[in-house]
Amino acid sequence: MTRWMLPGFLAVGVIATLVLIVGPAIYAVSLSFYDAPSLTSEPQWVGLAKYAAVLQSAEFWNALWNGIVYAGLSIVLQVVLGIGFALLLNQRFFGRTLLRGVAFLPYLLPTVIAVLTFKWMVDGSLGIVTITMDDLGLPPIYWFETETASMVSVILISVWLWTPFVTTTFLAGLQTVPQQLYEAARVDGAGPIRRFFHVTLPSLRPILTVIILLRSVWMFNKFDVIWLTTQGGPLGATEHLPVLSYRKAFTLYDIGSGAAVATLSFVVLMAVVSLYFLLFPMEKAK
Amino acid sequence: MTPSRIAGRAGVYVAAVVLAVYSAFPIYWMIVSSLRPTQDMLMNPTLVPDRLTLDYYISLLAQTDYPRQFLNSLIVAVSTVVLTMVLSIMIAYGVTRQRIRGKQMIIGGMLYAYMFPPLLLAIPLYAMFAKVGLNDTLLSLVISHLTITMPLGVWFLWGFFKTMPFELEEAAMVDGCTRLGAFLRVVLPLSVPGLVTVAIFAFLLSWTDYTFALVMIGSDANKTVPLGLASMVGAFDLRWGDVMAGSTLIALPLFAAFVMLSRYFVQGLTAGAVKG
Repeated sequence: MTRWMLPGFLAVGVIATLVLIVGPAIYAVSLSFYDAPSLTSEPQWVGLAKYAAVLQSAEFWNALWNGIVYAGLSIVLQVVLGIGFALLLNQRFFGRTLLRGVAFLPYLLPTVIAVLTFKWMVDGSLGIVTITMDDLGLPPIYWFETETASMVSVILISVWLWTPFVTTTFLAGLQTVPQQLYEAARVDGAGPIRRFFHVTLPSLRPILTVIILLRSVWMFNKFDVIWLTTQGGPLGATEHLPVLSYRKAFTLYDIGSGAAVATLSFVVLMAVVSLYFLLFPMEKAK
Repeated sequence: MTPSRIAGRAGVYVAAVVLAVYSAFPIYWMIVSSLRPTQDMLMNPTLVPDRLTLDYYISLLAQTDYPRQFLNSLIVAVSTVVLTMVLSIMIAYGVTRQRIRGKQMIIGGMLYAYMFPPLLLAIPLYAMFAKVGLNDTLLSLVISHLTITMPLGVWFLWGFFKTMPFELEEAAMVDGCTRLGAFLRVVLPLSVPGLVTVAIFAFLLSWTDYTFALVMIGSDANKTVPLGLASMVGAFDLRWGDVMAGSTLIALPLFAAFVMLSRYFVQGLTAGAVKG
């Protein structure tokens, strides 16, 4: 009995990994070679036809570009703001502990709630942002109606929700930077800005590498913010690969194309991640 | 204090206020809007409400499917946490303690699962559930949440068990414990911080999930709160007060949990293992 405990645990691991992850992933890729208008009808093998059609469509390249813009801009903002907030929260001041908690709160909110609250705040007639801008004599912004404004909206919501991840991780990293380094830099006459670029950033580069890698992966895959805010509109201005994939599979009932788009987005991601590991080898990061 | 130091202190406090407003104002506004009488919301949305009312909460709980959705969310999240804990403890412990070739494949599989677009898993899972008649059930949602929470749990606990010396279990076994006994009485109690972290994040991921619920759940009776709230806004008759009340009710348990367990959150985040 006891002898079988560890092999038993491992067997559970193998089965769970196969059933929950490997199996569905292989099935997803195989679905992309079939034409399946519904789940009940018999799927037809079509080979690479779905990929050919997807790669030749303008909507795929539009979605890929939108995804790069959305992920790229929101990651840059999250990292810059997150590091700024972490540096602030690392100072000594009255109420610091409380502020650290408050700064973390957005990360806990379900995306749905962040989106709904944003929509409520910019509501055309009753929203506090709309009213305040009107009082200040500023022209109204049509948050979800123009192409630029809707991209800005989804980026703003994403940055607000996930900056705390960067703040908290970077703040924890700041505690590990040896104080002697700062003192040595101070003796050499380095001001706060030089100390940040010559001591803090080099010391925290491994942590920063991991943060940027993880956030890139997640932002590129993130479906819910855009779907809940604009559903990819107006006119495809915010449609990225996850939304395109969902729309193909679940509103146009073309499961093969949906799976093909999802597989392609995984391939793009793997390419980016591999490039990243090539440029910043993991052993340095550990 | 020199003038430049005073300016520096003032700068820190100004920045602190900006950060506080930026982080907290939307949350404050959500709570205030859920408590403000309709009259004031339409005519007089002051920063600090003059009068408070629970009308929206009462109508939300009495006239909508919200209580049912809340219960669904709770059932799904608790089941996900329990299954995640059992599976990831077994797998992570097996991987760290059993000498066998190829076990790294399990950890590798978990890491790759992290890279998957959720939709890449949602599409085949949906197709598989439809085949076996599990589509549109809470169980299908629990299983799909496991595809995210289990890799998280295994990855995190693997790192945790790895740092725990073998000698602890060996000593307990010399003293007459079985391996299972040593595991239950020595390893698990020492792992409580790691276990709590995994449980919190599994709960958080399941409780806040919208994507999998959107794909898996079709009927009103099986909707979870994120899905229910989203469909309220799609509705023609938009009632912001009810929506904000529903949002507040789902956010408050998360805030309460955070206040009690904040140091575990930070531990989990800095381990870099938390999807979001």
